[in-house]
Amino acid sequence: MREPVLTWCVPLELLCSHPLPVSAFLKTQVKLYTYRACAGKDEMGKMVSVINTVDTSHEDMIHDAQMDYYGTRLATCSSDRSVKIFDVRNGGQILIADLRGHEGPVWQVAWAHPMYGNILASCSYDRKVIIWREENGTWEKSHEHAGHDSSVNSVCWAPQDYGLILACGSSDGAISLLTYTGEGQWEVKKINNAHTIGCNAVSWAPAVVPGSLIDQPSGQKPNYIKRFASGGCDNLIKLWKEEEDGQWKEEQKLEAHSDWVRDVAWAPSIGLPTSTIASCSQDGRVFIWTCDDVSSNTWSPKLLHKFNDVVWHVSWSITANILAVSGGDNKVTLWKESVDGQWVCISDVNKGQGSVSASVTEGQQNEQ
Amino acid sequence: MKLKEVDRTAMQAWSPAQNHPIYLATGTSAQQLDATFSTNASLEIFELDLSDPSLDMKSCATFSSSHRYHKLIWGPYKMDSKGDVSGVLIAGGENGNIILYDPSKIIAGDKEVVIAQNDKHTGPVRALDVNIFQTNLVASGANESEIYIWDLNNFATPMTPGAKTQPPEDISCIAWNRQVQHILASASPSGRATVWDLRKNEPIIKVSDHSNRMHCSGLAWHPDVATQMVLASEDDRLPVIQMWDLRFASSPLRVLENHARGILAIAWSMADPELLLSCGKDAKILCSNPNTGEVLYELPTNTQWCFDIQWCPRNPAVLSAASFDGRISVYSIMGGSTDGLRQKQVDKLSSSFGNLDPFGTGQPLPPLQIPQQTAQHSIVLPLKKPPKWIRRPVGASFSFGGKLVTFENVRMPSHQGAEQQQQQHHVFISQVVTEKEFLSRSDQLQQAVQSQGFISYCQKKIDASQTEFEKNVWSFLKVNFEDDSRGKYLELLGYRKEDLGKKHIKEEKEESEFLPSSGGTFNISVSGDIDGLITQALLTGNFESAVDLCLHDNRMADAIILAIAGGQELLARTQKKYFAKSQSKITRLITAVVMKNWKEIVESCDLKNWREALAAVLTYAKPDEFSALCDLLGTRLENEGDSLLQTQACLCYICAGNVEKLVACWTKAQDGSHPLSLQDLIEKVVILRKAVQLTQAMDTSTVGVLLAAKMSQYANLLAAQGSIAAALAFLPDNTNQPNIMQLRDRLCRAQGEPVAGHESPKIPYEEQQLPKGRPGPVAGHHQMPRVQTQQYYPHGENPPPPGFIMHGNVNPNAAGQLPTSPGHMHTQVPPYPQPQRPQNGWNDPPALNRVPKKKKMPENFMPPVPITSPIMNPLGDPQSQMLQQQPSAPVPLSSQSSFPQPHLPGGQHFHGIQQPLGQTGMPPSFSKPNIEGAPGAPIGNTFQHVQSLPTKKITKKPIPDEHLILKTTFEDLIQRCLSSATDPQTKRKLDDASKRLEFLYDKLREQTLSPTITSGLHNIARSIETRNYSEGLTMHTHIVSTSNFSETSAFMPVLKVVLTQANKLGV
Repeated sequence: MREPVLTWCVPLELLCSHPLPVSAFLKTQVKLYTYRACAGKDEMGKMVSVINTVDTSHEDMIHDAQMDYYGTRLATCSSDRSVKIFDVRNGGQILIADLRGHEGPVWQVAWAHPMYGNILASCSYDRKVIIWREENGTWEKSHEHAGHDSSVNSVCWAPQDYGLILACGSSDGAISLLTYTGEGQWEVKKINNAHTIGCNAVSWAPAVVPGSLIDQPSGQKPNYIKRFASGGCDNLIKLWKEEEDGQWKEEQKLEAHSDWVRDVAWAPSIGLPTSTIASCSQDGRVFIWTCDDVSSNTWSPKLLHKFNDVVWHVSWSITANILAVSGGDNKVTLWKESVDGQWVCISDVNKGQGSVSASVTEGQQNEQ
Repeated sequence: MKLKEVDRTAMQAWSPAQNHPIYLATGTSAQQLDATFSTNASLEIFELDLSDPSLDMKSCATFSSSHRYHKLIWGPYKMDSKGDVSGVLIAGGENGNIILYDPSKIIAGDKEVVIAQNDKHTGPVRALDVNIFQTNLVASGANESEIYIWDLNNFATPMTPGAKTQPPEDISCIAWNRQVQHILASASPSGRATVWDLRKNEPIIKVSDHSNRMHCSGLAWHPDVATQMVLASEDDRLPVIQMWDLRFASSPLRVLENHARGILAIAWSMADPELLLSCGKDAKILCSNPNTGEVLYELPTNTQWCFDIQWCPRNPAVLSAASFDGRISVYSIMGGSTDGLRQKQVDKLSSSFGNLDPFGTGQPLPPLQIPQQTAQHSIVLPLKKPPKWIRRPVGASFSFGGKLVTFENVRMPSHQGAEQQQQQHHVFISQVVTEKEFLSRSDQLQQAVQSQGFISYCQKKIDASQTEFEKNVWSFLKVNFEDDSRGKYLELLGYRKEDLGKKHIKEEKEESEFLPSSGGTFNISVSGDIDGLITQALLTGNFESAVDLCLHDNRMADAIILAIAGGQELLARTQKKYFAKSQSKITRLITAVVMKNWKEIVESCDLKNWREALAAVLTYAKPDEFSALCDLLGTRLENEGDSLLQTQACLCYICAGNVEKLVACWTKAQDGSHPLSLQDLIEKVVILRKAVQLTQAMDTSTVGVLLAAKMSQYANLLAAQGSIAAALAFLPDNTNQPNIMQLRDRLCRAQGEPVAGHESPKIPYEEQQLPKGRPGPVAGHHQMPRVQTQQYYPHGENPPPPGFIMHGNVNPNAAGQLPTSPGHMHTQVPPYPQPQRPQNGWNDPPALNRVPKKKKMPENFMPPVPITSPIMNPLGDPQSQMLQQQPSAPVPLSSQSSFPQPHLPGGQHFHGIQQPLGQTGMPPSFSKPNIEGAPGAPIGNTFQHVQSLPTKKITKKPIPDEHLILKTTFEDLIQRCLSSATDPQTKRKLDDASKRLEFLYDKLREQTLSPTITSGLHNIARSIETRNYSEGLTMHTHIVSTSNFSETSAFMPVLKVVLTQANKLGV
């Protein structure tokens, strides 16, 4: 597994005339790891290759970066309170918009499906959700949702089949659902106390019509059952379902994590009856939850891996066969389910930095 | 925001970070008496259950203690990562005693919960701290400058960090360094702090501002910076927190003066070094950034002082504060609304009182009224700056095309408060390729298709085949591209015509030797025996009786011979009777052959003999029934056979050229989820489609549902590996299936073709203003609920233009064709270059079905009247208008969707143009005709037709004079071939060829062909004139191999067919 190969140099020589054994410092400072956990290390370089390095010119930490539906535009957001949109076609990086409007760090951005136009949602520590829209080539604020009492940590658009619906999870523990009702109006539904002391992530289930996948009488509204998952500071993943009266009801609690759930990601539907959710947590664990039968709604967790640090983010590939896991050690790993149902790490996404010391990192950054 | 509260006057200790669930231990405080002035003491453990919304904390255990406590800490001693062992509770008592408790035993309700006890100290033990590196080390401080270091493994004998400081004073605080494990600091109310080095066993530095007013009530090391610590003062005259750096120990680095009165306790967050809690005699609980002095948060508290404050180690947003009014409160610093909690309390009260009629007044009580709080009061704002633990530093998200977007914020350790270095905030876009073999095979397939090297491709596949079956399949596929395919099929089935012929000749020779010599005389007997009777019948011309007699006598040969003489009817009847009587093994085969009833063979042969049945069909069946018969056999194999035979059905389908069934059969047999097995299938399908297209001159452009699904799955896979162009190439063209059309649009855009400006690009989805219920081939799209969204961004505010734009995909020839006929272009429209798609069109033949339609176009095409009506109509309810128009309007339009785009002059090929209708200045209702267009219909075109057709006939430009010779030569050649060709199949091929060559002529008209191609074509024309067709074929090959495939794919294959035929026919 991992081995620390670099020990800490005590900065205060005055205080440390007798260095202690390495083991004493395991928790202290910078650790340089050699990764042996990942079997695919040799293939790694070939499997993942950087094709574009976008200098965002953000003035502070970046918290999210999302491509649009086509993979041609990149939206980023940062602690510098801005949201930026880049045209990244053909390896380029043209700044299209620098969106100012948030008064705090912006945590996440989410692109709406292009059938609704070019729409981007962002959420921030300033307790606001802003929906940005491109009109005549200019991006402008189209709507501001200030219905939360604390940091809004996550935004996610519902499958396009449902219309324009945005789920927002906040540190005030609530989840709000904004539905576009036309003429610039958004209807707000709020689930209070969804996760005590905070909801960290929301993720919609793919649109699947129960029973038939294809044959819907045309012109008729398919009978979708809307669902989404949320994860929070109560260490829980909760599944929510829209009732027939339009109210959202907690359908299921998934308990396996022993610390904050940092992210949940419902896997895209690939036509199989199985539903899959990935979750990651402060406790370093990543679970894959599967449910073979939606009606019985029994979910079983499978531990993908226990990392040594908080895992911040999980993201499924479009074909739902690869999971990208981003950890607190600044490492991104890719995981794939093998034939025998085990999850294996197929690649480290290594750009030359990661859990290395600052001095090393600087040198490597210069190389890029 | 307050989360929980417990009514206790107690010291508190959170369970260590490893522990799950989170517990809070409370021990009766020695310094404060509660409201009852009770002298009882207890140690209690509560669980922090955040999923319970009430303010109550769940009490897990209570232990009645004989001690009251000055200090309580919970160390992770001997705790494993699973948290099964819950560490050790260490309490500082009133009389110099330190007591170790086992929390798990307390929780379990054991009586014996004390692990160990030692009363070596003098006076109350007010200071305790656990070393975070070696959790068995505990430091304690009491009166008389006493400091002991306890090893929990050897609790009996404590160590000292060095000689006692003089003069003796109380130790009020003690703290281990957070970075260096052998460094300890202690502080006393006198205001002095001492730093000890346990290695040297002596104090190494003393920190004091010499004001004599620092009355140390709190001491904490910086979580990250080894040399920094803070001291808090309880003195009302100096209610400050001093931040010291030991490297500059002459004066405080910073002084925080945020409290109005003395500070009673501090706590530095381990999760975020910028969060320092402090509570004071001004009844405030503040959270400030000790690195800047800024107050980030003031907890909403009542007017009571708090004497103890603690961060929860596991949940960094949670803290607890113990106040003098006998309450421990648990807060979150993330803010939030307390409305929910308050409502809970109301509910609780209501339920307690029953809410009905508790006092028997006959009147139910009115609902409890809670004074209406203003929003500002009920909402608690979070910290001014986000805590570190919610700042996500890293992320990786997948996006379309197998791209992975990653970013990371490299943490710069802030050593000694070093300035944060200028960081580069980069986002990386990576291509993730996980299926290398899949991609390379896909690549090979594409190359084979582009170079038309099907035979060699198949051969390679045969050579590489791992299984016999695989080999067979590829052999069958290969045959499709060879001459005399049926014969070759037979060979593959193990029947060689020549062999049979040889055998037959041999037998004939042998037979002839035994033939009796004819001639001579013969005797006509009319006796009563059977011969005589036959003779009589023959003599009277009664063939029927004669035949009957022969049959009766089992003289089959005679019967047949006679029946032949007796005419067709008799023969047929006789054959039937013969077959009815005959029991031979091969009778049924003969029956079928004679009766030409291949269906019989196919339907009723033993499935073990499927090869023979197939061979028979291959030998005898007429071209028009051949496919159906192969199909039938395949179906039988599939339905009735065992698993082995089922797979063999694939071979039948290959012979039949039935792509759809091949897909179905293959899918049944194989696990199609793996990319490589899908690749296996697609290879066969693509080759077979090519074969069908070449040999049977069939229109393969229509794609069945299953095949379309497979192809789009394949395209999805390719896209997911980043091969967008390949994905586009494999995506079926002529289909209305919405998911395929959406995928196509997505692929086109992902390819990064420029969108004019950054204006709202068009999307292959209905815009929201669209009326519902459109007819025609868009049915799939109706599935998208447009409820509530129809009015999104109404026309008035510049609608994103509606419509389904297919970038040059409806028309495979459109690629590379730039509009050259401005007359048909909308002037507002900037030229919209078609994406360069070298693959364009090879997947589908230049659609044959379009050609005939083209000729019908003038009659067929009648959009003006119905279409203009919505334009003419004033703005009104679009839905009702649409409904009215539906019967008439959509019909011509939907037929238009399959219109022969390629044959219209340049401007008409304009699919991807910026929608003129979306431009401002157009009346909103203008866009309706577009809406009517089927997805897949080139909407821009539609509109142009509407405008231009009524006024202007479409005329083709003339072929430039210098190229006219090409047309005349080729057409002449086709005519010659036609006149000398005999079989209808060849004629049909030639007819098709002549139609398909229109594509070439169109390109010549528009002069879009590259000079090398045109000159090559001229060379071919010259060779045709000299009737040197083989030379022409060589040139043909040269052109195909050197030119851009998409440029020539529409006509070069056809030209080859013509040349080959001409060569064969020798015209």
